[in-house]
This record gives sequence, structure tokens and C-alpha cells, in this order.
Amino acid sequence: MIATQLLVNAAALGAAYALVAIGFVLVLNATTAVNFAHGESVVAGGFAAVALAGFLPPDIAVPGLVLLPGVLVVSALLGLAIGALAYLPIGNRPPVSVFVTTIAVGIVIANGLNAGFGAAPRSAPPLVGTGGFEFLGATASLQSLAIIATATVLIGALAWLLQRTQLGRRFRACAQDPEMARALGIRLTRITLMAFALGTAFAGVAGLLLAHQFFVSASDGGVLVLKAYIAVVIGGWGSLRGAAAGALLIAVFEVGIAAIASQPVAEGALYIAVLLVLFVRPQGLFGEPQQVRA
Amino acid sequence: MSENTPALETRNITVRHGGVTALRDVCFTALQREITVLLGVNGAGKTSLLRGIVGLAATDGTILLQGRNIGALATEDRIRAGLAWVPEGRRVFPGLTVAENLDVAGPADSATRRERLADVVTRFPQLAQRLGDRAWQLSGGQQQMLAIGRALMARPDVYLLDEPSLGLSPAMVDVLAESLHALTAEGAAVVLAEQNAGFAQPLAGRRYTLRNGIMSED
Amino acid sequence: MNLRTHMPAAGMATALAVYATVLASSYDQRLLALSGVYLILVLGYQFIFGHAGALSLAQGAFFGAGAYATGILATRWELGFLATFPLSIAFAALLAAIIAAPVLRLRTHYFALATLALAQLLLLVAVNWEPVTGGANGLSGVPPVSILGWQAPRGLPLVAVIWGIAGIAMLIAHHQMNPQRRAAFSVARETPLAAPAFGIDAGLLRLRAFLLSAAFGGAAGALFVHTNRVVSPETLGFGVMVTCLTMTVVGGRYRIAGALIGALLLTHLPEWLRGLDAYYLVAMGALLLAMVLFAPDGLASFLPARKPLSGTAASPVPIPSPGLFAGPSSSLEATGLHKSFGGIRALDGLDLSFKSGEIVGVIGPNGAGKTTLANALTGIAPADAGVIRLNGNEISGLAPHDIARRGLTRTFQTPQLPAALDIRSIVMTARNHTGAHNAAPDADDAIAFCGLSDEANEASGSLPHGLRRRVEICRAIVSRPSVMVLDEPAAGLTPEEQAEIGALCRALADAGMAVLLIDHNVGFLKPIADRLICMAEGRILADGSPEATLADPSVRAAYFGMDA
Repeated sequence: MIATQLLVNAAALGAAYALVAIGFVLVLNATTAVNFAHGESVVAGGFAAVALAGFLPPDIAVPGLVLLPGVLVVSALLGLAIGALAYLPIGNRPPVSVFVTTIAVGIVIANGLNAGFGAAPRSAPPLVGTGGFEFLGATASLQSLAIIATATVLIGALAWLLQRTQLGRRFRACAQDPEMARALGIRLTRITLMAFALGTAFAGVAGLLLAHQFFVSASDGGVLVLKAYIAVVIGGWGSLRGAAAGALLIAVFEVGIAAIASQPVAEGALYIAVLLVLFVRPQGLFGEPQQVRA
Repeated sequence: MSENTPALETRNITVRHGGVTALRDVCFTALQREITVLLGVNGAGKTSLLRGIVGLAATDGTILLQGRNIGALATEDRIRAGLAWVPEGRRVFPGLTVAENLDVAGPADSATRRERLADVVTRFPQLAQRLGDRAWQLSGGQQQMLAIGRALMARPDVYLLDEPSLGLSPAMVDVLAESLHALTAEGAAVVLAEQNAGFAQPLAGRRYTLRNGIMSED
Repeated sequence: MNLRTHMPAAGMATALAVYATVLASSYDQRLLALSGVYLILVLGYQFIFGHAGALSLAQGAFFGAGAYATGILATRWELGFLATFPLSIAFAALLAAIIAAPVLRLRTHYFALATLALAQLLLLVAVNWEPVTGGANGLSGVPPVSILGWQAPRGLPLVAVIWGIAGIAMLIAHHQMNPQRRAAFSVARETPLAAPAFGIDAGLLRLRAFLLSAAFGGAAGALFVHTNRVVSPETLGFGVMVTCLTMTVVGGRYRIAGALIGALLLTHLPEWLRGLDAYYLVAMGALLLAMVLFAPDGLASFLPARKPLSGTAASPVPIPSPGLFAGPSSSLEATGLHKSFGGIRALDGLDLSFKSGEIVGVIGPNGAGKTTLANALTGIAPADAGVIRLNGNEISGLAPHDIARRGLTRTFQTPQLPAALDIRSIVMTARNHTGAHNAAPDADDAIAFCGLSDEANEASGSLPHGLRRRVEICRAIVSRPSVMVLDEPAAGLTPEEQAEIGALCRALADAGMAVLLIDHNVGFLKPIADRLICMAEGRILADGSPEATLADPSVRAAYFGMDA
């Protein structure tokens, strides 16, 4: 029974992490660079939800769900800004430059939020109200199930977009060979900015989903981007499916080890595990190494 | 008369590659309905010239496509103006399926795309069985067909092909030659950069040779 | 080393001393002490982030490691500064040494992640191992710096101690990053694929940089604790890392002056921007972004540039006598070389041998495996199977820098030269590794031999293509190898330049070297090659005199596409 409950918790946490990690990979594939502001984008999404919640009437039944479109739009705009400021002006300079520019944008976002909202953790409204129900003898919180549902729908929509639409094909073409994509008339800059918008929107929604149960504070970004980064390394660099799997694995790991031992032990074990993965199997746990672009 | 309209013309273009001048003062004209052959050993600058024309290498000078100077446009806009580039090594998108490789190069309208995809498959029946396969699973020859088919999807006026015969079996080379003739018969101009003179010479309308970054007409 | 080069440093030291003693309030003195601490941290970070070009996110962790080592040793064991300071440095360096082997071979993204994970792990330990670290509250009551009974109270004495140590740190950095090593780092950083082919052991350079950065970080952390008298988990937080990164980017990644500017400026900036209040850190982030975008080499790049290495006066030296290069016994033998990429056999049981005095030309259509052959012989991309002997000794399986040091060097299709570096420095990097205490005379010999004396002090990026090609050759011969492999040395050159390269190769062969010339251009090879080999599909199609090879029907079919 406890196991079932833990599993639901882990799945909910994993679903939210999966959104973060998938957003991270979208940008990674479009730019071959790590977006260090991605964790702050999650935090910004959480605060966007907190701020927008102030405009909601108090007795609304599904507050988080109503906020979702607003958070998506705000986060997408933030993503456009990150891409335009931290990536496009870099030109042909080495990827290390993008590390530093996105770290810089992350500092701006984190401290801007800190100055605007204060350092104390804040909580966003739940997606579809609080409470829970009996499920195979265990209590599953409504919020957990709503998180799983929301993330599943969004990831499904993304999969449809990438697999079934012309825009999605262009996305993947740009990720595989940006120069060739340009030479087919695809507007690379536009696609890149769209990847930033989409990736950051996913991060923002994850912020909304996480901010109810786990609260959100301006300094959370570092740990979140680290988890996305780890998920992507575990799942195989550049693979969307791998990122989602890696995120779920991290959540299971965290929830499981925390239940057996403690939260810090879980976190420490995760870092040690990722170091081991890097040393022993740098191509990730799942799948073969992708065609790596030189 | 319309047969002799120049589709692509370069006037004294200079191409730089990594800060080094690879080609100087290159002039050539490619006519509609004709295969124009650029011969030269490897390292002569053929690839740099084609990259310069599509805007992937820095160039000075005038590049006229159907009489319009595209020399200052971005690569995407040159392609949209009616140019297609089939690079050395094909560069199909390995993780996309054959059908997706074709679709991605087509226009936004899906009905037109379907039509053109069907046309590509008629030209290269070998691709028909492989539409759902990933491009990396194709043989070299099939990848070359796919790369040309991908260029066809945009219905360009001028095709730039870089060493398409490389690594193909003699039988595939014949198929290739036939497909290039078909393109010119439909009114397109084909620019063929080749080091394999045995393949290229019989196809040529006009013929140019690049030696050490300098172009001469034969 | 003359008075002039020390003038700015002496002036700066005097100005700081006057400011600290006469003008500064006690608060300013505290800021000055902090600047000194950060200066040491940034100097360390320059080794790994600047010179080695690797984005380490563990510099803050080394700082924290030093801080906790000092805090714990001083409060719990009550050890004095003369014990805690070296132990703190050693602890940080030890951490680096433990993780160095697996971490340093990781590529960019993975290296950054691994160092970040390490930093998070240390932070976690500090927060949760309460009995030792004091947990979230940390440890208070850290004593001031005490040396042989003398205690340095806050204020001027502490500033003096910290800046004294910072001065020593600058001297060490100056010594470690002497111009020759700077040049070696620059070659390894900017042309990583080519560096080993000239004998540069990039792995060893990275290790040195990483250990130095950790040691400097540990020292800075230790001094920080003596300044604050408490140690808390914040010393291990990402904030320290970000501060260090910002200082390094703003000041500059490569120069000591950059570390000084970055540390001094960003410690004092909060005071000057006090009006911004809570938004101060936002401004910091914006500043960091603006610096990367508009002044990527930092503020130090606006200072006058350092002079290129001056060697002996560049006087034209006659072409050295035969015997400059290895004796008449040099030879290269390769048997049964195999190399596959995916399903394609790039080398398919290839045998090849040539000896001193010989120029062997290699032609072949695209994809014949010519560059693969060069990469396999020099160990850049080792063959899957086969034996290679250099002067009778097996070299297959050795690391490429080791092969180069044993006397097999090469040039690349595209010259692999760091654009900002001058020719003499580049050439010296290929000589210095052999342990020669002064590479300058050899470098100048080789430069003269290649007819580059007039350009020796110019940056490689400013040279025309033909000369860059010659610099490549010059760099390949400065270590006096027995065998040299040239990959497409004539591509893109004018006929005159080609002839000059050809004459250079002839002179090298006559001086006792064995030369393998890979090129497409038969017109270039024919007059200078003693033998001409035609490759196709990873095998040798024909091997003989240039006339015989070119007349071979299979060669004519494969290479020229003519009917046999």
C-alpha cells in the first residue's frame, strides 16, 4: 500500500521532471548548447502561477488548470527572450560561451524574482483542487494524479507536433543538420527561437505543477537544471525519449531512497550515481550513442 | 531562344573559406535545359564554389539567379529564390524517414507536398519501398536518389550537385545520369561539380575546369 | 625580465599599499582583504577555465573545501595557520586528484556536469554531516591568522597577509604560465586534434591546470575563513562559483592583470551600486552577459598586449647541413593495417614501407583512405589491426604525442594553428616537450630552414595560406623527426607556392628524413616523388616510380575515371 502511494508520488514527480528535461533537450538539440537558465525558467513558471493566481476569483474549482495557458504564454515569451539574448548574439563562438551567457541570464531571472517576490518559498494553487481518494487501498492525492495527466497530455501533444507536422519535421531536421536545413530553405533562426519558446514553456508548466506541493523559491533553479542535465545524461544526450525516462528514473530514485533512508542521502546517491554513469557509460544508460555532431 | 536563357550566372565572385581565399574572380554561366559541368581535382575549389553560391561560404561579387542578384541574401532566401544544393556526401537527415526527408524540403501546403512526393517516387522507384525507413538505413546510391529527390521537392530552377557520382556503382551512375537529363528536359539548369570526368563529360553542355582556384571554360 | 616589465606591477603594488594604509577605512580594508581572497581564487580558475579551456564548475567547491578544512582543523583540532593553510590547500588538491582521472577525459558538457555534481555533493555533505561540519549553521570561532605566535588582527595586518599571499600566488601563476607553456596550452585548447601530433600531451596539461586551480581555490577558501572567522555552507554554494566565473569573464581568462581587475572590480562594485539594493545581483548578471557579448576576452584585453616570445635575433641562417635530421637509418614500416568506420573499410590490409632520403607520394580518389592512413600511422585515429614500426621499433598502440616524440610527425589538410599565436611560439611548442631547456635555437633553425625568419614574430592568423602551410611543416620538423607525413600540403596553393613546398620536402629528404606526401595533385607529386603509390578502397593499387604508377591501367581507371 505504501508502495503504491510512493509509486504515484514518484510518477507525479517524474512527470514534472520529464517536462523540465524534455524542454532542456529541445533547446539542446536546436543549439547544441546547454541552457543553464532552464532551472530559473521552471522557477519563473512557478512564480508566474503565484502572481497570476492573485487575479483568480477565490472560489474557482480548478485554479491551476485555469492558470495553465497563462503560464505557458509567459514562459514561452521568457524563452524567446533567453534565446534572443543568450544564444543568437553568440554566433560562431564555442559552446562554453553559451554556458556563461545562460548562467548570466539565470542570475538575472533568479535575482529579479528574489527582489520581486522575496526569498520566502511560495506556493501555487493546485491544479484541480486538493484532497485525494482511495486507490487500491492507498491514498493518492488529486494533485499527483492531475500532474501525471497534465504532463502526459503535454508530452503527447509535443510528440504529435514533432512526428506528425511539417513544423516538427523541420525541428528535427534542424537538430540533425542545421546547415543542411538552412540549405533547404528552412529558417533556422526562427526554428531555434521556437525551440527556446517551447522548451521554456515546458519548464514553466513544470514550475506550476511543482510549486503547489513543493513550493517555489527563487534559489531553486540550480538544483532543477542539474536534475534536467542529469536526466539527459542518463537518458542519452539529445534523446527526448531518453530524457523523459531519465527524469522518471531520478524521481523513482529520489522518492524510493528518501523513503528508505532520507532526503539528503537520496540526493547524494543521485549525484554519485550520475558521476558513475559519466565515468562508466558516458553515452547514457539507455540506447546506443546517437549520431553525434562534431 | 528560350533555351539559351542563363539561369545562373556568377560574375567575378571570390570565395573565402575560413578566412582564406579559396577562389578568385570566378565567372561562369549555367543555361536552362542544360547540364553545366565544373571539372577539377579534389581541392581545386569546386565545393567552395557551390557553397559560396548557396551562401554557406563568404563571397564577394555578383550571383545572378534568373537575372536577379542573390549575392547578398541569406542562404534560406537564396534557396527560396529557386536554388537547390545537393552537397557532397548527400547529407540526408539520418534520423528522419525517407518520406520525412522529402516532406521537410517541401512547401507548407500538404496537398502539394503529397503530389511532389509521388512524383519523386515515380522518378526513383527504388525509394517507393523504403519510404518508412530511416534515411541512414539506405545504401549510398539510394541516399543519393533521396538527396536529389529532396531537392526536387522545392521545384527549383537551378540544381547544384556536388560529386553526386561519388561512391556509386556503375549501374547507379547510369540511373543518376538519366535523372539529371530528365531534370534539364523539364527546363531546369543543372550545375554538376565532378572530379570524375568519365561520368561528367558526356553529360556536359558547357564545361568549365577549376585549377588551383582559377576557373577556365573549355 | 627587465625593469620595464616589472614597472606596472611595482606601481600597482605601491598604489595598493598607499590606499590600504592611508586612505582606506576599516570597511574598505575588509573589502581589500576580500579582493585578495578572490584574486587567488580567480588566478586558480584561469588555469582550468582560461588556459585549459574547460568549463569547470567545481572551483567554488575547491574554495569551500579549503574553507571547511581550515575551519575544522582550526576549531576542532586547534591547529595553527602554518599547519591549517597548507593542509587546506592539500585537501582541495587531493579532491581534484581523486576525480581528475575520470573527469578530465570527459567532453565539454559532461565535464561541466561532473564538476557541478561534485560541487553539489560536497555541499550536501557540509550541510548534513553536522557533528563535523556544524551543519547548516557552520562553525564559528575560527581564529585569526597566526604565524609563530604573531596574530594578524582584522584590518591592515590581515590585508597585508592576504595580499602577501596573493602576491606569491601571482608569482606562481606567472611562473607556471611562462610564455612557452601558455603557447602549449593555446595549441592544445584551440587545435585539440592537432596538438598531440606535435608531441603535446594535452591530458597532462589539463591535469596540471586542474590541480593548480584546486590548490589556488583551497588557499582562497582558507583565507576567506580567516577573514570571516566563521565557515558556513555558503562557501560551498553555487554563489561562490558564479562570483568566480563573473570575475574571470569580466577581467579576462588568460592574464594575471585580468584576475586583478576582475577581483578588485567585482568586490567593490556592490558598494558603488548600493543604490540598486536588491537588484544589485540582477545588474551583476546583466554585466556578465554584456561582457560575454561585447568584450569576450574581458577588460584585460584592453590593456596593451604582451610581447610575443623573442628568440635570438632572426638572422637568415643558411640551410643546415645534412644530418640535422635523424640519421640514414630512419624507416617506417606498416603491415596489415585495417580500419573500419561502420561498415566501410577505410583501410583494408594495407602494407607500406619507406626509408630515409625517400619521398613517397600517395594519390587516390576521394574516400580511398588516404587521410585515414595518415591518422592511423600517427596514432590520431589508430588502426583496428596491423603493426607499425618506426626505425624498427613498434609504435602501433602508442598515444599520438608519444609517437610524435619518437620521431614521426605530420601536417594536416587544414593548417591547425591558433590564430592569435606568433609563429615562433607555435614552433617552439613542438620542440619544448622533449625536455630541451631552451627550444628557441632549434625553433629559429627550423624557422630559417623553412624561410620564415621574416614572419617569425607575426600571429599565424595574419599570414597568407601558403605561409601557414609552411608553418605547419616548420612545426613538424623542429623536433628533428625521422619520418614526416604531409596531408595535402599543396591544396589551395599557387603553382609557385607548390614548387616551394616541393623544394622544402626535397631538402628534408636529402637531409635524411623519410617523407610521405599525400596529395591529389599529380603535377605537384610527379617531379619530386621517388615513388608514387595509388590507393583505392583502402588498398594499394600500384606502387612504383611515378611514371610506372601513372601508366598503370587500374590507376587510370580508378583515379582518372578513364577506361582501362
